[in-house]
Amino acid sequence: MLMLAAIVVLHITTIILLLVAAIDNAWWVDDLVSADLWGRWDLSNNVWHYTNLKGYPEDYLQAVQATSVLACVFSILALFVFVAQLFTLPKGMRFTFTGILQIIACLCIMTGASIYTAKLHVNGTSGGYGHCYILAWISFVLTFILALTYFILRKKKE
Amino acid sequence: MLTFLALTSVALLGIVPEQSQAIAIYTGWERHALVGSDIRLSCSFFSWRWTSEDVTFSWTYRPDGSRDSISIFHYTGGAAYVDNKGPFRDRLEFVGNPGRRDGSILLKNLELNDNGTFTCDAKNPPDIVGRPSSVRLLVFEKVPIQAGVITGAIIGVVLGLLVLIVVIYYLMRFLVARRVFSLSVSKHGKKKKEGSQQRQGPVPPADPSKVKAATSEKKKQESRKDKK
Repeated sequence: MLMLAAIVVLHITTIILLLVAAIDNAWWVDDLVSADLWGRWDLSNNVWHYTNLKGYPEDYLQAVQATSVLACVFSILALFVFVAQLFTLPKGMRFTFTGILQIIACLCIMTGASIYTAKLHVNGTSGGYGHCYILAWISFVLTFILALTYFILRKKKE
Repeated sequence: MLTFLALTSVALLGIVPEQSQAIAIYTGWERHALVGSDIRLSCSFFSWRWTSEDVTFSWTYRPDGSRDSISIFHYTGGAAYVDNKGPFRDRLEFVGNPGRRDGSILLKNLELNDNGTFTCDAKNPPDIVGRPSSVRLLVFEKVPIQAGVITGAIIGVVLGLLVLIVVIYYLMRFLVARRVFSLSVSKHGKKKKEGSQQRQGPVPPADPSKVKAATSEKKKQESRKDKK
């Protein structure tokens, strides 16, 4: 029972981290600029302005957007499928469907973060990676652990 | 009574045409085109009057960043006059049908300098009060990827594949179960007494593996509970 609660809490935490990484605006942070996958905030005269991203290769940026959204979607789907399988799975079986969905989410966020690292911001301009970028990689690790757990775990037979 | 009706009809006939005499001109809002291609700029109007023989269309062009506009096309008295001195000489063609209220022009072999605003003004005497309408032309060297097209395509394809795989999986399971059910029913129908014995046959080999799994799982659960 305790393990079940721990797994559900971990899954919900992973979903929250994925959503924050996809939505919040801090993938690349500078003193005057805060950019993410959807737009950038520029600080001028102590006022923040929201503008479109410029200077990014369009196709790679849209691929990163798509994969981060897909990772969130698959992780949420995996949670619902896990709850459904808790009630419908025959006893002694593994949660394979949940595990498959979670590993797809893991692959998606890994692809997105990798493309972001490799293709955008390679020139070494000033600034550094923001907290959303770090959260993306952390959620990659968490989704991987959760997927392994779902592949190994078996339903109680009582 | 009759005089009252006559007076109101005359009044209405007098009032209504006064208010509806404005001519409404329609063009596009913005047009995108590639360098070297042709583009058709459409212009039509709405008027309460019949299309008169003295209908006129005129197009003017204002380049991006300039405040002056030049006239590049004029249709009047049944004849079309295209630009023969300005930036569109030999590149402009009239493809409209004034009888059907269409005053469209065709611009051929676009250049990057053709970026600008094209204004169409149409007059349908005696309906002459109206506001000209403008269309903005943007000429690109390469068609830019619209925001979100690739994103939406990737998301749609992946989710569609997921739905397809789930549907196929459940369909296969349903078909296999139905085939097993029909086989067992036919066997049961042919040999009633032996059928029950045959069904018990395949079951025992599955039980030991499930019992093993159950005991190992129970041990795992107990060890985890002990740790906590």
